Amino acid sequence: MNIRDTISRLQDFYILCFRAPLGVFGRPFYIRETIEHMDYMGTGSLFIVFLVSLFIGMALSLQISAELSALGLKMYTGRIVGLSIIREIGPVAIALSFAGRVGSGITSEIGSMILGHQVDIMRVHGVNPLKKLVTPRVISAVLMLPVLTIIGDAVSLLGGYYISVFVSHQSGSYYWSQIRDIMNFKNIFSGVIKPFLFGYLISCISCYMGLSARGGAQGLRKATTSAVVMSTIMIIISDFMLTRVLLLVLGERV
Amino acid sequence: MIELRDVTLAYGDHVVLDRVSFKAEFHERVAILGSSGEGKTTILRLILGLLRPDSGKILIDGQDITEHSESQLRDFRMNFSIVFQEGALFDSMNVRENVAFCMREYTNYSEDEIEKRVRSLLNRLGIEDAIYLMPEELSGGMQRRVAIARSLAGCEPKMMLYDEPTSGLDPLTADNICKLIKELSKGDPPGRAGFIIVTHKVTDASKVAERFMYLRNGNIIFDGDINALKNTSDTELRSFISELYAA
Ligand SMILES: Nc1ncnc2c1ncn2[C@@H]1O[C@H](COP(=O)(O)OP(=O)(O)OP(=O)(O)O)[C@@H](O)[C@H]1O
Ligand SMILES: [Mg+2]
Repeated sequence: MNIRDTISRLQDFYILCFRAPLGVFGRPFYIRETIEHMDYMGTGSLFIVFLVSLFIGMALSLQISAELSALGLKMYTGRIVGLSIIREIGPVAIALSFAGRVGSGITSEIGSMILGHQVDIMRVHGVNPLKKLVTPRVISAVLMLPVLTIIGDAVSLLGGYYISVFVSHQSGSYYWSQIRDIMNFKNIFSGVIKPFLFGYLISCISCYMGLSARGGAQGLRKATTSAVVMSTIMIIISDFMLTRVLLLVLGERV
Repeated sequence: MIELRDVTLAYGDHVVLDRVSFKAEFHERVAILGSSGEGKTTILRLILGLLRPDSGKILIDGQDITEHSESQLRDFRMNFSIVFQEGALFDSMNVRENVAFCMREYTNYSEDEIEKRVRSLLNRLGIEDAIYLMPEELSGGMQRRVAIARSLAGCEPKMMLYDEPTSGLDPLTADNICKLIKELSKGDPPGRAGFIIVTHKVTDASKVAERFMYLRNGNIIFDGDINALKNTSDTELRSFISELYAA
């Protein structure tokens, strides 16, 4: 792949990222498609989100209370677990599971439509593939990932509660009172703004990779792999950058 | 009217079409013949604006479409409907939804209305029983017929483009499809919807088309009617159409 190629692909990607959300303005709306995708992405991901969050919450609580109890500070477990879940680990872990489940699905579905000339048929019949295939997926991902993240955070906190109370023998009401303490605007805002961006990134990257799939089953494999790999990298990097920006914007000292 | 003017297209170093030129009216019944890999499918994709040529012009009703954007191309594509070589059915939708694709996009028909129209189309193609099957449950010939039904539903093309509609089918099914293609383009010019059929099956082409072109090494080396085709002096073309002499 030469430089010119790379630049033109990047350009295509930016165009897609830009145009996809604009697709909601103007007919046709593809409401049925959007609802179907929301169901697939949201309801369909509930189980994995539940499992991932529960165990992350428990592991984190276990680790932190072990460390803190050595220092004699284990009553602060709730605070630390809550903060790390809500601001960092929850959004990132759930976005990563979402990329694995939904991102790969998007790429392989659109990719096989490209390879089977189904997208060409749409174009011949005057249907804009960007609007029909990409916009509903981007919209659904942007709406569903935050919802999943909130659910996941709650499950994680429950998992943390279970460990601190039943394994680490702390006071349950103190755990919750600490969680209530950290439930302020800054923390919730930082935690909830992230999944909007992650959902947008995952869906745009996956749709783009699907649309640019070439070369049969192997090409599809490559496209799907790069969709998940790129999404993963972008989630981690943009999380760091967003954390940095949010700290600045919300005026919190590091 | 379609016109290709000195159209050249290459994939990397491999020149597929080398200054191809021809004109065809929408009501004509054209067959483009040629061996496998000569660029027949490529020509259809160029006409639809799915591919852009490296050089040359493609004029639809006198307008050059080679520089048009995707949204400008929409109006030109509405003149055509295509049946791809592989059928290209939407594999996650059943036959009914495949055929109803355009109706759902462009009309507000009720479910009953859609069902009725799809059924009558499928009935015409003799596959009404398959209405609720998925594409993977269909045989090759049935898929081809569903693809034809879909290309007809909900749009009124001025010209149909068929890419190898009969290859890979048994003689009887192939014959049925030829009859169908012919029936779909009945009526008198200039109002009739013509077609371009792209194929290497000479006998099938001779059953439906009135004008024949032969593509070789990126050029159209023959363009004429059936008699001219049979009387050609080109030895390679003669052997390509040898089936015709037998019949
Ligand atoms: N995407 C592509 N990338 C590279 N080469 C291609 C591509 N598509 C087609 N070709 C080449 O272009 C040539 C023409 O292909 P085309 O599909 O038009 O042939 P065809 O005449 O339709 O053949 P067939 O009768 O087998 O369908 C072939 O030699 C093929 O190798
Ligand atoms: Mg072909």
